[in-house]
Amino acid sequence: MKRLHHCTFLLLGFLFMMTACTEEQDFSQVDDLRVTPTLASGLFYMESDEATINSAGAFGSFYSEEVNFDAFNEQYVAERLIEGVITYEIDNTTSKELRLIIEFLDEAGQPLDAEIFTVEADPSETVIRDVLYGPGGKSIDIVANTSSLRVSAINLGDGTSVSSTDDPKIILRSGAQFVFRLK
Amino acid sequence: MRMTFKILWIALLGSTSIFAQNKELLYNFNEIPQSLMVNPGVKTSQKWHVGIPVVSGLAFQGATSGVTVNDLFANDGIDFTTKVQERLLDVMGTKDDFSTASQIEGITVGFRGKNRPDDYYSFGIYGEMDIITYWPKDLAILAFEGNGGGNLGRSFDLGDLNLRGEMINVFHFGINRKVSNTLTLGARAKLYSSIFQFQSIKNSGSFTTIPGLNNVYESTITADMQLQTAGVRGFYDIVEEDTGSTRKDVTSLFTERVLLGGNLGFGLDFGFSYNLNPQTTITGSILDLGFINNSKDVWNYTFAGSTTTDGISVFLPDEINNVNNDLWEELVDEIDAALPHGENQSSYISWRPLKVYGSLTYDFGQGGGAVLDNCGCAVNGGGGGSALDYYRNSVGGQLFMIKRPRGVQAALTGFYQRRFGRVLSLKGTYTVDKYSLSNIGLGANFQLGPVNFYVLADNLLSYSNLADSHYASLQFGFNIISWNGN
Repeated sequence: MKRLHHCTFLLLGFLFMMTACTEEQDFSQVDDLRVTPTLASGLFYMESDEATINSAGAFGSFYSEEVNFDAFNEQYVAERLIEGVITYEIDNTTSKELRLIIEFLDEAGQPLDAEIFTVEADPSETVIRDVLYGPGGKSIDIVANTSSLRVSAINLGDGTSVSSTDDPKIILRSGAQFVFRLK
Repeated sequence: MRMTFKILWIALLGSTSIFAQNKELLYNFNEIPQSLMVNPGVKTSQKWHVGIPVVSGLAFQGATSGVTVNDLFANDGIDFTTKVQERLLDVMGTKDDFSTASQIEGITVGFRGKNRPDDYYSFGIYGEMDIITYWPKDLAILAFEGNGGGNLGRSFDLGDLNLRGEMINVFHFGINRKVSNTLTLGARAKLYSSIFQFQSIKNSGSFTTIPGLNNVYESTITADMQLQTAGVRGFYDIVEEDTGSTRKDVTSLFTERVLLGGNLGFGLDFGFSYNLNPQTTITGSILDLGFINNSKDVWNYTFAGSTTTDGISVFLPDEINNVNNDLWEELVDEIDAALPHGENQSSYISWRPLKVYGSLTYDFGQGGGAVLDNCGCAVNGGGGGSALDYYRNSVGGQLFMIKRPRGVQAALTGFYQRRFGRVLSLKGTYTVDKYSLSNIGLGANFQLGPVNFYVLADNLLSYSNLADSHYASLQFGFNIISWNGN
């Protein structure tokens, strides 16, 4: 009789186990997942000494090149770009005023946009410019469709003077932080 | 008191669940023949046993030390991305893991030696799958948040990628010997037939983006990573070819691998039981002291190197005459060259996850007559000095440790076992490990004549919502047991 009781209790217990439950789960929530990392990278760096600038003469262009730049226009990347910022920093320790032009060109070589910097001669402060793309800024399509950059540097001063600064240079730095929607 | 126990059992069982990580319920559950598989030196009393093929021993476990299914997928109206951020990315660390293990016994047979009744021999075949992946914290954060914003300057540890898995078929033969009335020793040899194995357990490296010395940002990556696989490519190729006979080909390859046609390995188990006095017993075992030599169907993938980049750079006057406009492509090629990713077919050794058990048991409550007086085995039956068969209650503690890729995982268990004659035995456990601090388990062994049935379930308290459990485990099986030739 005792055994019967024990067995009954045990079976009841396991019966309860079998009726164990789980709260309602909604696995379709995965579809709502947003994966939007912010990726940062250096973009373009250029430096030139004053002798090179002088060699172009007064009001001469001492650098002008079109550089292939497919960082953003790969289809996978372009489709997922949401917004971002390109940061430019320019230091000029030469004795002349300079102009830097960065043009964003599409596949056909047509300009989509341009950033123009006029930098005072030394002594001058670092020029910093943040250019927003996406909501509240320029069209994100500019960077999404950019296939190459045309970088031009023009001497707006004379072609002979030399700054008294140690190792005078013009330095252009640029970097980007963009938000992508991976999912 | 008895009523209290009854209520307790019902409460435990009725509170719904099935969970556990190690096999703490099976360990030292001497009435179940499969306890030989977790301690070859367990006290045995039967004359012979035969497991009912395929259903003699089935064990399934799933575990997560961090987020649960319910944490993420409960229908609670909270934004899913917020849940991922707050319950996964912000909380889980590199020691948290997701793991699953399953074991299916194909054949198990045990018999006592005719000329050496102190020896109990057992052999059989079982299949086992074991997969563990640690939470790749830094890689997940890199994917979700990126290297920009607040992560500038952060060093992402590529070594966070750590995973390992295998499916094997095991052929085994063991000997259990009663050395004296107080000591039983056992050993088991195992031949592993690997179906597949993969591991990526020795990765190192980092990825960092900082304000650069030259440019605005500078990114540095150093990597030494490898994924080793054996037996995976064969299945992948069959599925990839999709010839119309895929199912047949997969079955054929699977069968070949199960029957020693793949990579092979060897391992040993050892165990003992020792009576300190008639009522106190210590036991211990070490399992899967072995390896598999992976030399067939091996495909390893490597990613190693080091580089720093700050984008396209032009230095004048050095590059004044360089009219090459493929600077971006060159940069990409340079990075690729500095971080070569390749494949090789180098064989490798994979170690089995070593497991160690230990226990201390105190028996009490005389049964008023030995259960196995007529067992015919003349070994551990009544009068043979076996506390197990003489005392109805056992209480004690167990320690379990398993070697995992990121170190040893341990679990501590307290247990109480109650025997109701030969017909029924119950074992309750409370286990503490990295997965749960409230793991209460219950096991039952039924002996109806020669037919034996057992069921062992863990983490009963979380049974009310299985999806919210960090750990789930269930073992059960059927055997035919004889004590006197029936």
